[in-house]
Parts: sequence; C-alpha cells; structure tokens
Amino acid sequence: MEQLVLHSFLETLFMVTASMFFGTAIGIFLAFLLVLTKPSGLWPKPWISQSLGVFLNAFRSIPFIILIILMIPFTRFWVGTSIGTAAATLPLTFAASLLIARIIEDALNTTSKGLIEVGKALGASNLQIIFKIQLREALPLIVSGLTTVSINIIGFSAMAGTVGGGGLGDLAIRYGYQRYDFTLLVLIVIILIIIVQCVQMTGNFLEAKLKK
Amino acid sequence: MEPHFLSIIIKNLGKSYNVAILKDINLEVPQNQILGIIGKSGAGKSTLLRCLNGLEQPTTGTITIDNQLFTGVSDKERRRIQHKIGNVFQSVNLLSRLTALENVMFPLKLFKGNSKDIHSQALKLLHLVGLNGKENAYPSQLSGGQAQRVAIARALMGDVSLLLCDEFTSALDFETSLEILELLRDLNKRLGVTIILITHDMAIVREICDEVCVLEAGQIVEKNDITSILLHPQHTVTKSLIRHLITKDLPHHLQEKLNKTPTDKCFALLRLFFSSKAAGDPIIASIVKTYDVPINILLGSLDHIRETAFGSLIVSIPFELEKITNIMKDLDQRSVSAEILGYFPQSGGHSWNS
Ligand SMILES: Nc1ncnc2c1ncn2[C@@H]1O[C@H](COP(=O)(O)OP(=O)(O)OP(=O)(O)O)[C@@H](O)[C@H]1O
Ligand SMILES: [Mg+2]
Repeated sequence: MEQLVLHSFLETLFMVTASMFFGTAIGIFLAFLLVLTKPSGLWPKPWISQSLGVFLNAFRSIPFIILIILMIPFTRFWVGTSIGTAAATLPLTFAASLLIARIIEDALNTTSKGLIEVGKALGASNLQIIFKIQLREALPLIVSGLTTVSINIIGFSAMAGTVGGGGLGDLAIRYGYQRYDFTLLVLIVIILIIIVQCVQMTGNFLEAKLKK
Repeated sequence: MEPHFLSIIIKNLGKSYNVAILKDINLEVPQNQILGIIGKSGAGKSTLLRCLNGLEQPTTGTITIDNQLFTGVSDKERRRIQHKIGNVFQSVNLLSRLTALENVMFPLKLFKGNSKDIHSQALKLLHLVGLNGKENAYPSQLSGGQAQRVAIARALMGDVSLLLCDEFTSALDFETSLEILELLRDLNKRLGVTIILITHDMAIVREICDEVCVLEAGQIVEKNDITSILLHPQHTVTKSLIRHLITKDLPHHLQEKLNKTPTDKCFALLRLFFSSKAAGDPIIASIVKTYDVPINILLGSLDHIRETAFGSLIVSIPFELEKITNIMKDLDQRSVSAEILGYFPQSGGHSWNS
C-alpha cells in the first residue's frame, strides 16, 4: 500500500508542479498583456485587454470538471491521449494560467499611478516601468497569489482522477471510497492537509521575506 | 553663474483636454533661479509642471530646456532631456522594497546598471538631505519628512540641472517644510540647480522663491520678483492670495459691521502697508500731529520677506472727507500704501477696541 500511496503522491506532485510552472509562465504573459493594453495602460489597446478579459472570465466560470471534459479533444491532439497524468496536466495548466493571469494582473495594478509617473518622468521605457517598478512592487502579492493558486490546483488535481489522471485524489476515490478502505482514505486526507500546510507556510515565509 | 543663461524657455504653450487648460503661456526661467508658481486650485499649475517634466505633451507651443528643444522631439531625445530634470511630487512614491539608499540610486541604476560612482553619489546626497544612518531603512521605517527627503535626494541623482516640485510640502508640518526648503535653497546655491516650485502656501513662497508667477484660469496673470509681488501685488488673484500672509484680517464679526459708504458720523478703517524704508519713520505720530486726528491702531503685524522688513496696520480715523484724502496722499508720498476697508458707525465704533 505504501508503494501505491507514494506513487500517487509523486503523480500529484508532478501534476501540480508542472501545471503551476507552465501556468505561471502563461499567466505572467497574459497578465502583462492585460496591464499594458488596458485603456490607462502604457500601451493602450483596449480591444486586446477587453477581449482577453472576457475570455478569461468565461473560462474561469466553467467548473473544472466540465473544463476537463471540454478539453478532451485538445488534450488528445496535444498529448496524444486523453487519459493519464500527462493528459490531466493540460487542463490543470489551462486552469492555473487563467487564475494566475488575474492574480498577477491585480498585483501589478496595485502599483500607484504616482510611482509609475516617477518612472515616466525619469525617462524610463514601458518595459523598464513594468519590470523595474511594477513587478518589483507587486512581488509579495504575486507570491501570496501563487500560493493560493497552488492550493487550488492541488484540489483540482484530485478531480483529475476523472480522466484517469492518477494522483492522491484519484487513489482516495478508487480505493478509499469505492472499496471502502477507510484507513487509506484518512491517510490520504492527512497527506493532502500536510501538503497544503507546507505550501501555505512556504508561501507565507517567502511573502514575508519579500515584503519590507 | 553665467548671466542670462536661461534654463527654461516656454513659448506660446497651450494645453487642452476637451477644454483649454493652459493658454498661451510664455515664460523664461534663468538658470539658478527659484521660481514659485501660485494660483487658485484648478488654475493649471500642475498641468504646466507636467508639461515641463514630459508627463504631458503640450497641445501647442514649445518648451526649451537648457537650450534643447523638449517638445515635438523623438521619444529618445525627450528621455535624454528628462534625465536632467528632477521631480518631487506631492506623494512621496518611493519603491517600498528598496532601502533609502537603493531608492536614491534607482534613477541611475535604471539606465546604467551597477557602478561605484552611483553608490557614492547617492550616499553623498542622502547625507546632504540629513539622513545619515538611514541608508538601509525601508520606506515603511521612515517618517513622512524623512521619506520626502529621500525623494528629494532621488530627484537630484545624476546631473540634474532642473528640479520641479509640486506641492511636496503639503503633507508635512511647517517646521519640517522649512527644513526641507532650507535644504533646497542650499542645493540651489551649492549645485546651481534651477528650481520651480508649486505651492498653496504663501509662507513657503516667501521663504524660498526669487520670483513668483501667478497662474489664473490657465494664463500667467502676473510675474515679478518676490518683494514686488508681496508688497505691490497687481492682479486681484495675487492680492487675495497674499492677503492672508501679510495682513491679519479683521475678525469676521467686525467685518460684517463694516459699511461700504460713509455715514453721517463714522470712522474710516484704513489698511496701511509699510516697506522697510518707511518702517523706520514715525509716520503715525507725524500724521496725528499734522492733521490733528486721533488715530486708533486696531490690528498690526510686522513681517519679513527675505531681508526686507514690512508691516501692515489697520487703523481707524474719524471720517472727514477732505482730511482723509489728504492723509492718503501724504501716506502715498511716504511710500506707505493705504486702502480704505470701510466705515464704522461712530456709536460703539470704538467700544470694542478698549
Ligand atoms: N487629465 C486631465 N483630463 C482632463 N482635465 C484635466 C486633466 N488634468 C487636469 N485637468 C483639468 O485641468 C485643470 C487644471 O488642473 P491642474 O491640476 O493643473 O490644477 P492646479 O492648478 O494644479 O490645481 P491644484 O492647486 O488644485 O492642484 C482642472 O480644471 C482640471 O480639471
Ligand atoms: Mg496641482
């Protein structure tokens, strides 16, 4: 049984890390696009920011379980199969990027107009303002946001069992719930709680370090 | 200081959003000068300053800074000139995750990366603004005044030749403001920085400015050296702005009793301005003697603008048309400007004064 739990744990770890990694990369890109192109942004292109905003909201309002099913054709195309851990990572990455895009956008937007004008009056370029002022100021907020998203994604990854994605959630449903192995169920719940706690504590620690 | 070297030349500058905010501004600021811009709220002071620091593009007209055209030029050219301009804004706007020293270094780090010179200049400026020992403090650990000093040091990084300040003292108490102004004057003398300063506070203008320019509804309505502005304001806006500074006004309940026209038996209330020349002479005594009138002093204050002493008095004189006319002429010859504030009925006219 230990073998089984360890294996599932590693699968969860893989799904969460991979989707957070790619999700953050895509999320940062989308967030920058949103912040730059908003009407009051440094590169105002309202049609981009507005259509992107509508797109993000539309997909964020779809329950994750439905998203997995909707994405099956894409998953098949990209991963070659719609079943398995790798296949589950695709919808997870997609969900993570949507959440992260909004969180980073909000964090970047908290930079005061005055601070941005300090940069402009210094003759800084748009990229310098985004990277050296906005991103720098927003870092603690971004870290705390990423912590929250990680925890969400851990939860989502449990649903990945639906597409045979494996992981701890999948194990809990198949062995704990369907085969009435109550001990295993409790064990998995405890492991999940510990993981979430660890993520939260690491996040809090980093945030405190970054905040002055 | 090179004579007649102009730091800023503004020609026919106009700025409109939907309506015209600035109209046909013409202004020349010599190098090394401290120019104050005053005016009522909404007059366009900040807009003018934002045209000067490149945050806004003027709709019409040109700005020349240190003999280089600043308007209608490429982004690259504008940025190059912006490097010579320091800005101190009303809100302090430090980067919260950088120390005081790092904040001061920020402008140059943005463009040149790391270097020893940047570090030593920043350190020197921090000490100049009196923040020894606070180099490694974060903005959250600084008081408002200290943070504003960091912002001033930051504004002076690089080879800044022009410093633009928009109401940066309004969040500070007067004592701290004075200290910072002292510092600015010192920097102006030592580094030869031209300073343009917007403020609502005439006491600050009096402390620091060489010249004052009055903005009203987007136009310059008056511009003169500080002494002339304070002693002989021409425009009504200037007069109303400086009245609070120089003169103590009559208490409100007395002002209400004032009549606009003389009645049968009444006192005339006069406001007299003295400049330093006249302040030494026994003017009141000699008027009393010459015209044989009892002059009653109701309010008075003595003040200083830079090195010039001046005073203002509010006095009451029993009203006789001929006498008052002569007294005013006489005062005028002694370079005391007099103005009739109004008339008090004689009954009870003096009772509040004893
Ligand atoms: N971005 C803008 N869009 C439209 N109107 C503006 C804008 N900025 C300023 N204005 C208008 O321009 C006028 C002058 O504003 P400005 O901020 O220059 O006044 P000010 O003299 O600095 O006033 P205060 O003493 O209150 O700071 C105001 O009527 C204001 O509403
Ligand atoms: Mg203003």
